[in-house]
Amino acid sequence: MYLFQQKSFDKKKRTLIYFLVPITVYMLVFFLYPVLYNLFIGFFDLKLGGTAEFVGLDNYRKMAGDEQFLNSLITTMVFVFCAVSVELIFGLAIAGLLNSENKKMEILRTFILIPTVFTPLVAGLVWKSLYHPDMGMVSYYLRALGINIGRGLIVERHLALLSVIIVDVWEWTPLMVIILLAGLKSLPKNPYEAAMIDGAGAVQLFFRITVPLLKPTLLVALLIRSLDALKVFDIIWVITGGGPGTSTTVANLRIYEVGMNQLQVGYAAALSNGLLVVGIIVGLIFVKFIYSKEG
Amino acid sequence: MNVISRQSLLDKTLLASRIIILLLILAFIAFPVIWLLSTSLASRISMFKIPPRLFTGFKLDNYSYVFEKMEISKWIMNSILISLGTMILSLLLGVPSGYAFSRVEFKGKKILLIMILLTRALPTIVIVMPFRIIMQNFGLLGTRWAVILIDTVYNAAFTFWLMSGLFESLPKELEEAALIDGCGTVRAFIRIAVPLSIPGIITAALFAFILSWNDFIFALTLTSPDTTTLPLGMLSTFGILQQGWTHMAAMGMIAIFPVILLSLLLQRYYIGGLTFGGVK
Repeated sequence: MYLFQQKSFDKKKRTLIYFLVPITVYMLVFFLYPVLYNLFIGFFDLKLGGTAEFVGLDNYRKMAGDEQFLNSLITTMVFVFCAVSVELIFGLAIAGLLNSENKKMEILRTFILIPTVFTPLVAGLVWKSLYHPDMGMVSYYLRALGINIGRGLIVERHLALLSVIIVDVWEWTPLMVIILLAGLKSLPKNPYEAAMIDGAGAVQLFFRITVPLLKPTLLVALLIRSLDALKVFDIIWVITGGGPGTSTTVANLRIYEVGMNQLQVGYAAALSNGLLVVGIIVGLIFVKFIYSKEG
Repeated sequence: MNVISRQSLLDKTLLASRIIILLLILAFIAFPVIWLLSTSLASRISMFKIPPRLFTGFKLDNYSYVFEKMEISKWIMNSILISLGTMILSLLLGVPSGYAFSRVEFKGKKILLIMILLTRALPTIVIVMPFRIIMQNFGLLGTRWAVILIDTVYNAAFTFWLMSGLFESLPKELEEAALIDGCGTVRAFIRIAVPLSIPGIITAALFAFILSWNDFIFALTLTSPDTTTLPLGMLSTFGILQQGWTHMAAMGMIAIFPVILLSLLLQRYYIGGLTFGGVK
């Protein structure tokens, strides 16, 4: 009897392992292989449609002195930092406003989610039209309000990055709201009651109780958004194309340019591996924070 | 009595002011959507009027124009085929494996999980170009399959992660009872586990559809004129039309309509998927 059970258990386990085979193979072929292939071609001077020549670490040496790429990394960092911090602050504020059992709040929550499903490319085209220097509605009414936008929001170098950050904030603050709202709803009520009896004000409650309790959710939300913001491509591609000049050229755009337009595939691979390292560092910093706080 | 009514009045005022602030925020959020709708119904000339205004006309001309004069039907078809293909493939790969992952211990379990989670962390640009070369070698470059295959990497990973979390929270007793009754593992999975996890499957299917419908960079690098998706097709006409925002807007409305409708109809599942990553 025991033997029989053992045998059927082994059989069950074997069947379950078979269930895991397709996705493992799939990920190895279509995910891990391209990533490793990218590492590999980073060591070659490979031109699309041309020949490949092994150059060792030359591409990486070139990268270290490539001002255009290093500048695009800085632009990426500014973009990610500004967009994600604004999204966090707005997200927390809106989640706080929405955190109520009232039925009306649920309806509002539904509509706030719309930007997250809005096709990013369409969003880009809409905002590009709104920003149009002469006929865009946003440009027109900003000027009507007496705000100096020079020749136009996406024409002036110092305003272009801000303009695309606004679009990212519009698109992704709702995601922050939903994640933080779920976090807020799961907070225990007791600490609040105790603190209120002690006479704590709303501001104190927020900074002394809400923020510390919400910290794990805040960090995960920041991690998810930062990693996603590092991938930004569509909206910038459409709205500014990286310009004017290189003022909105984030690393993704620069790498795409090098690989797809200049056809220097090997060098583009090396650059994207450089970006990958940046992404890993960002991820590790967050993971360290998340785990150190949870003990 | 006085204290109570004053308190409830204060509560009501607070709630009302919160709702007013939220409505203002909602106006900012909804503005691009309203602009798109209004522009898609406007005549071309009204776009050049100063000051720019919303809802200057209510004509469906722009919609009929894009269907008659552009290849939009083809783009819509490509988008639908790619999104459905991704959805089906992601479910086939992600659901059974998510189940098995929550039910069995084995060596290398952690490595598989890390590989799956890496799909979320890896910058897209890292995979775009090598994938293009690989597809070229497979003879798949320019086909819908190329886009389906890469979209599925991301969506199968999400499905796997979502489903393994969900199956973990399901009691194992039911399946074990079925196994003792002589049901095979496969049948226990199909007959017991799958029906219990339908909400998760709907969430996974919805996300796979939305993400591949909204994809741009993979379609940009992997499709040919014959397999162009709707967003990419729109972009190709934006240059030609120049100030023809009205036609662009009509196409934009067509592009966002299915995903907005699906996310509203299946709202519970959509929110469940969005918060899953944050809470887990």
